[in-house]
Amino acid sequence: MSGIVWHIFAFGVIGVFLFVVTYRTLAISRLPVHLRWELAPIPHEKGKNRYGGSYLEEYEWWNRPQHKSRIVPMVYMAKEIFLLRGIWEHNRALWPLTFAFHMGIYVFIGMLFLNVVNAVFIIAEVPLSVLNVSLVIASAFALVGYLLGGLGTIGLLLKRALDRNLRPFNTISTYCNLLFLGAVFISGGYAWLHSGDFASGMSLFIKRLITFYAGITVAFPLSLHLVIVLSFILYLPFTDMIHFIAKYFTYHAIRWDDAPQDKKMEKELRGLLAQPVTWSASHVQSDGNKNWTDIATAEMGDEK
Amino acid sequence: MKSNLKLTDFSKAGDTQLTEITIDELIPLPPPYDKVEELPGFKQLTEDQRERLVCNLDGVVSYAALPKPQDTEEERKYVEQFVSGLKKLLSRENNWTFLQPLLLSIDYCVQCQTCNDACPIYLASGKNELYRPTYRSEIFRRLVNKYVKPGGKLRAKLNRGNIELNWTTITRLYELSYRCNLCRRCTQFCPMGIDNALIARELRKLFSQELGWAPKELHEKGTILHLEVGSPTGMKPDVAKDNVQFLDEDFTEVTGIEVSTPWDKEGADVLLIHSAGDIVSFPESPIAFSILCNAAGISWTLASEIPGYDGVNYGVFYDDIQLARVAVRHAQIAKKLKVKKIVMGECGHQHKAFMTVADRVLTGDLNIPRESVMTFLENLVFSGKIKFDPSKNDFPVTLHDPCNIVRNLGIVEPQRRILRYLCPQFREMTPHGVDNYCCGGGGGLSVMSDVNFTDWKVNVAGRMKFKQVVDAFSDQPDPEIKKYVCAPCLNCKLQFRNILEYYGAREKSGIICGGLAELIVNAMVDIKAPFIQWGEY
Repeated sequence: MSGIVWHIFAFGVIGVFLFVVTYRTLAISRLPVHLRWELAPIPHEKGKNRYGGSYLEEYEWWNRPQHKSRIVPMVYMAKEIFLLRGIWEHNRALWPLTFAFHMGIYVFIGMLFLNVVNAVFIIAEVPLSVLNVSLVIASAFALVGYLLGGLGTIGLLLKRALDRNLRPFNTISTYCNLLFLGAVFISGGYAWLHSGDFASGMSLFIKRLITFYAGITVAFPLSLHLVIVLSFILYLPFTDMIHFIAKYFTYHAIRWDDAPQDKKMEKELRGLLAQPVTWSASHVQSDGNKNWTDIATAEMGDEK
Repeated sequence: MKSNLKLTDFSKAGDTQLTEITIDELIPLPPPYDKVEELPGFKQLTEDQRERLVCNLDGVVSYAALPKPQDTEEERKYVEQFVSGLKKLLSRENNWTFLQPLLLSIDYCVQCQTCNDACPIYLASGKNELYRPTYRSEIFRRLVNKYVKPGGKLRAKLNRGNIELNWTTITRLYELSYRCNLCRRCTQFCPMGIDNALIARELRKLFSQELGWAPKELHEKGTILHLEVGSPTGMKPDVAKDNVQFLDEDFTEVTGIEVSTPWDKEGADVLLIHSAGDIVSFPESPIAFSILCNAAGISWTLASEIPGYDGVNYGVFYDDIQLARVAVRHAQIAKKLKVKKIVMGECGHQHKAFMTVADRVLTGDLNIPRESVMTFLENLVFSGKIKFDPSKNDFPVTLHDPCNIVRNLGIVEPQRRILRYLCPQFREMTPHGVDNYCCGGGGGLSVMSDVNFTDWKVNVAGRMKFKQVVDAFSDQPDPEIKKYVCAPCLNCKLQFRNILEYYGAREKSGIICGGLAELIVNAMVDIKAPFIQWGEY
């Protein structure tokens, strides 16, 4: 692959990834406010989160200030994201594999970030001693990430294929996703073993990308890995693997959304209640023109 | 009958029953309920019923009126209606109420199956594949992906597990949507926050709001009767008032103190909305409230306007339109009476429907402050206005946590503080609080009793809870020692009544079930004779 093609491919992939992820995030966030559907325990309930209590435990709660913790929800989510707390507590048999798998991804992302830093170090001509340390760390991250991710992916593939609890729910895309990620980790491990100084190669590639150097050349094992990684980044936002975004909403916008109605929300609600209802069952009594308010406040007739 | 049920089996084999429930396969119960041969059998459908009714799921029928199409044209009509309903579920106009939670639950399940072991129905059934929370959801998800999303049919063919949409699929899905208590324990377990209970409810909603299919106890004899007559019990306002007046007089005689219940008192501080079913089935409960409110000198009232004397809102189980209608009526009545706040009765789903879910339906001056009965009673007990003697409650008491009050609203401790103070032998079940198991009557199931549904809800849905109750009292198995399950929710009490009666638990273990207010009154110094009459529960 010649230099300009690398640029087009890499920046194109990053552009598509950012665009689709942003689009899907906005699509979720712009969905209308829903009816309250919170679920205990809610970690921001200061002093009550330990046992799952809420501000509704207060006598005349509307006359009392609600004490919200910012720290506890962050700690909760950090444990959920980095330690997979929920799986640890409720599905221990799955935890070792899925933990290795997710940790492999996190360490891999950490390695990419470190190599961007290294690329900046190279451009800024920082002392070699500093750069060398940083390259060693990035190299270690790469090895750990590929090993954990590879083991996790292979383990999950086997478990999904063999476990009678999981197998009935697999689809072709379940296997495709895992195989694709497996290819990322295995090609990375192969490149790490056969690229001489893997971290230097990666950092130089990134440096040449961000400086728009036209003569990019990458040796075979690393180029194969980069093609697979970039292809995966292109594929990712079109799949349900972007559940890391969805998870923000399922927790913060649903399970933990216990906000009572306020003036701002009321304005939005009035707009929603003014929408037409077209459900067909006779008891709904919609004629295509009646809105939610009309229907909810209509006098009852023979509507069975 | 399938022992290894696959997702793709769901749309196949027309009238054939998909799975079977046998008591032998259910999880064992502790002694003295461990001998299957000594328990009443599971009522099986007769040949005639199998001929007449749609019974293609698990041999249980919750809705005898489910139609059978006469020809392919009629079948096609149902399929089209179902697809139309699916599309409406995914539209902003028709389903803004739950669109975001629904879409997230459809699109982002990672199929880790972590939720299954949270489900008391799945566990109690001996892990019958059909009752996995994910089984129902995955069928629904694949139908949405295939029939509503662009390119869905092509993707369904390319992917494994293509589900056909036909009359069999639709009717099985309908029944399966009523094999869930909507307790949301599975949602608590889900690391992704996927809500299988919501999917079950959305399915019910589709059937009700688009096809007009809903259990008669929830719809025709539920919300419709509630809005037209005043209460799903069928009580009209005058009858409700007469009944309560009769109870006032009766309990004045029994307790030796003046019991009176105010009605339609304009400007009262508190509008208390009981479940009218309590007046009929557990009359000690509304009377206990009258005694407590009067003793504490509270300015309070009941409302006699339709449907203000019945706080239930079955809409929360199956239909957003009906949910909104009932909630709006209740709020309008409170506004008319110019009360300062509305207090929920001992009713779990009333709490959830009126305090939180409908909070985003009641705009403007309909958004009247609404409070849980738990905090109301706690304030009353610890106000110092009433004298108590906890030794009057010196018998084993355990607490059932209604899912809608505890897991869904986070109201956990007020009721416990009362019980720790007033009941010396209070003990917790395991697990309890927000981790509790549903009584098996959640999601409206407690009031449903068509064909052989009661057998299913007692044997399967309520099994984990009954096991918990027996375990909680295992240190005192002697039936002569009277034991009290405090269930501060009408629907839970109705389910407990069914369970305890089915297993003969009063005779075999001395267990009865009642509410919280009764225990409080029972401990009042001023009440001379015991308020709890063990023989009458």
